[in-house]
Amino acid sequence: MKKIALLSFLLIFTACEPDDICSENTQTTSRLVIEFFDIGALENPKTVAGLFALGINSDGNEVAIYGENVASRSKIELPLNGAQNQTQFKLYKNYDVVNDVIEGNPDIITVAYTTSSVYVSRACGYKNVYSIQGFSIETDTDLWMINGEIVIDEVTNENETHVKIFH
Amino acid sequence: MKPMSRYSISILCLLMTVSSLFAQKDEEQTADAIKIDSIGFQEKYGLRFGIDLSRLGRTAFETDYSGFEVNADYRLGRRLYVAGELGFEEKSNKTNYLETSAKGGYFKAGVDFNLYNNWLGMENLITSGLRVGISSFSQTRERFTIYDTNSQTWGELQNNDREEFSDLSAAWAELIFGIKAEVLNNVFLGFNVQIKARLSEKSPSNFENIFIPGFGRTYDSSKVGTGFSYTLSYLLPIYKKARSKKEIPDETEPTIEN
Repeated sequence: MKKIALLSFLLIFTACEPDDICSENTQTTSRLVIEFFDIGALENPKTVAGLFALGINSDGNEVAIYGENVASRSKIELPLNGAQNQTQFKLYKNYDVVNDVIEGNPDIITVAYTTSSVYVSRACGYKNVYSIQGFSIETDTDLWMINGEIVIDEVTNENETHVKIFH
Repeated sequence: MKPMSRYSISILCLLMTVSSLFAQKDEEQTADAIKIDSIGFQEKYGLRFGIDLSRLGRTAFETDYSGFEVNADYRLGRRLYVAGELGFEEKSNKTNYLETSAKGGYFKAGVDFNLYNNWLGMENLITSGLRVGISSFSQTRERFTIYDTNSQTWGELQNNDREEFSDLSAAWAELIFGIKAEVLNNVFLGFNVQIKARLSEKSPSNFENIFIPGFGRTYDSSKVGTGFSYTLSYLLPIYKKARSKKEIPDETEPTIEN
């Protein structure tokens, strides 16, 4: 009987539930990955000097992208707006601020997509998976982008390139 | 509220074990007397039925749970019982990203084996048993927020469309270990723990079974579940049968077979 009393004590103090926390390693809603390539040699990634991105909301206003900083790079990750079926971004080349004046060459891209909510797990709940329906570069007088191409239309993870931009 | 109910249950369990200890001392002498008489002690055979106190307690103290379970067993042999449980559970579950609820009924059936060598005149049980359980339930997704680590840019997306997934089912096998102590004549207090392995389940599409009535919560990584019960039951004796002499232990100390 003493053994049983001990056993019941043990059971009472081990009745805690583990925390349900969504692991950082779990792939949840993915951003759109754009990679920049050389228009002269289509296979070669080409760095964009001073690349900086801004979002444009449905009212046409600029929106700062979380975690986005000016940097020279050949790849950029952009969050899509799940509340709409398209998102516009302003991508600057040679972005700089001199005496409160923004310098650089902005080009606007539009990504159109459909959205579906996909179940992940009890801790993470649901993620959005975007299926890219269209990609376009808005015409302006000074385009630094020449051409764009959808490579993978399902935006499920950030380890692969979804859109290629040649410049 | 949660810890409070746990403590009250643990106090109950403690009282139960202590009371059975005292019961043992009281009956020590009478047990010896019976043994000296060398007349085989008449053990009670019958139908025992009861309710699960822990589910009643949780229903009272936990806002996200309500449940009820009745249990019964019938003694087949000196150590063998057929046993079963029938119940209903409703549980809601809330995380920062997902709010769900599940409700339904379940039935478990199997056997219990009494491992305890009682002193003469006592009919307590330390049981190890097996069950097969089935559950029929429905699950509701109340609301969810899209998990997006980059949601600071465009804002969080919440979906408040309530959706019910019905006609869900699950089956599992269960190992059950417990004690039942006779605290009053024919009245038993018991405690048991259950380890369950899910054999099959019907999950909703683009969702999963978060909680299965009778089985309990599910885990992402495994098909294992756990449970416990505090039971109060009454034995309805149907007939008595003597323990044959060779089954009466000679030791003065009772032994627990493991």
